[in-house]
Amino acid sequence: MAAVWATDRLRARGLPVEVLTGADLAAASRWEHRVGRAGTAFELDLADGRRISGTNLSGVLNRLYFLPSAWVQSVGGTDKDYAIQEMYAFFLSWLHSLPGPLLNPPAPQGLCGNWRHPSSWAFLACQAGLPVRTYRQSSEDDPAALWQSPAEPAQATIFVAGNEVIIPSPLPSRLSEPCRALAHAAGTPLLGIDFASDATDEWCFRGASVMPDLIRGGEPLIDAMAEVLTA
Amino acid sequence: MILLCGIPSESPLTMVAQQLDAEGTDYRILNQRKVSDYSISWQIEGGTVDGTLSLGPEIFSLGSIDAAYLRLMDDRLLPELRQEPEESPVRRHARAFHEALYRWLEIAPGRIVNRSDPQGSNGSKPYQAQLILQYGLRIPETLITNDPERVLAFQREHGTIIYKSISGVRSIVKALDEEDIARLDDIRWCPVQFQALVPGADVRVHVVGQEVFPTEIVSDRVDYRYARRNGGSAELRATKLAPDVAQQCIALTQGLGLAFAGIDLKITPDGEIFCFEVNPCPAFSFYEANTDQPIANAVARYLCNAL
Repeated sequence: MAAVWATDRLRARGLPVEVLTGADLAAASRWEHRVGRAGTAFELDLADGRRISGTNLSGVLNRLYFLPSAWVQSVGGTDKDYAIQEMYAFFLSWLHSLPGPLLNPPAPQGLCGNWRHPSSWAFLACQAGLPVRTYRQSSEDDPAALWQSPAEPAQATIFVAGNEVIIPSPLPSRLSEPCRALAHAAGTPLLGIDFASDATDEWCFRGASVMPDLIRGGEPLIDAMAEVLTA
Repeated sequence: MILLCGIPSESPLTMVAQQLDAEGTDYRILNQRKVSDYSISWQIEGGTVDGTLSLGPEIFSLGSIDAAYLRLMDDRLLPELRQEPEESPVRRHARAFHEALYRWLEIAPGRIVNRSDPQGSNGSKPYQAQLILQYGLRIPETLITNDPERVLAFQREHGTIIYKSISGVRSIVKALDEEDIARLDDIRWCPVQFQALVPGADVRVHVVGQEVFPTEIVSDRVDYRYARRNGGSAELRATKLAPDVAQQCIALTQGLGLAFAGIDLKITPDGEIFCFEVNPCPAFSFYEANTDQPIANAVARYLCNAL
């Protein structure tokens, strides 16, 4: 949904946008990816006849956090886990090889950026100078529960896109620099940073996402993304 | 204090512990097989990470741990849990303990050899190869495709080619032969990695901080790691690297965020150097046992320098 909306808004700004859905990638007929002395190359033939290659891309909005579900569902048998590992390793490499700006570049821990554990985000947010509530973890905690996002949406989200920081009202502008520092430390030029106000009405870091809901960032976020993608 | 994590009888951990014993260094072993007796609790407060670790009757402040060497196995495969049902309390505790331990190790101050995130590049060989290129080392010409025609063209271009997994799973190298070519259509459902065969001598370089330990391997098999198992031979001997190559290995290790790595090089007959892979959790004991290179001592010294 957010990617469809972003496509429409980027096209409205005159950017030529090619959409590659998970289904497109899952049904691709030919993959070719080279790494060597001459650098890297990537070419993909889609079932609808389109050919995507590294040479005709100038920037990428990457909303793949894992392999396309249509492809994962198409794999079975005893080698399924191995095939998924292989395909993930392949996607990580070809996405990394794409030229031009990438929002966001892939990481071993997530195809659109490092899908960090809440503890890691809390630590990085502290380092970046954001107000962070005390984070606790122990061998009494259910590991799966720690990964779960809160049921309710964040009270407010700050977006970072490149050097731009989009701060919605009523969040204070003093959060701008620490948010930029957090995105930089995380290696993700596009980052959504969630905040919640505490009992003293201070806004505290609640979490961060390398694949934020772009619609919440609105037109200012699209402006910032367009600037990064065309740089 | 230094913490060694893993199975005490596993050779690399044993060898580092022996070196620490010889130095009279204060260290503890976190024995995964005793996980039922362990607990951990920690917090991030005001930017500071601290907490407690209980290893049976001993309780430590996490702040007292200056360095850690990790050889942790997948806790789900621990022999002590073999008879445990999937969701048993013992299994759940083991999982929760390891998860809390791993998460603390990722952000703990001090020397952690190695943290988990920087090890991730080894999960995709061509991704890691792109990082290796940034440090001035050559990599083998690589093609990943699901197109049999491209594979045959690649073979015509490079002569003998090998294939191996893209990920870190089932990482066995094999030369593409006639039998493989006959079933090449099988690659259409999932891309496969092919590489130009690089002739020459295999050299494993263990980097520990600023120290390098190159070992040359002479083998009659494409993949020396499995040579003896497959009826072939593999002889290991200590060797030397040109200073600039040694520096490249150190820079590559540091650049990947690692303190300790096993780098696989190949040196061709005309002196060109190719880098195949950086192993972020090297089982160095095989190399030390065959060459007497003091790798465990270097790891122990690296850990001790954090005290």
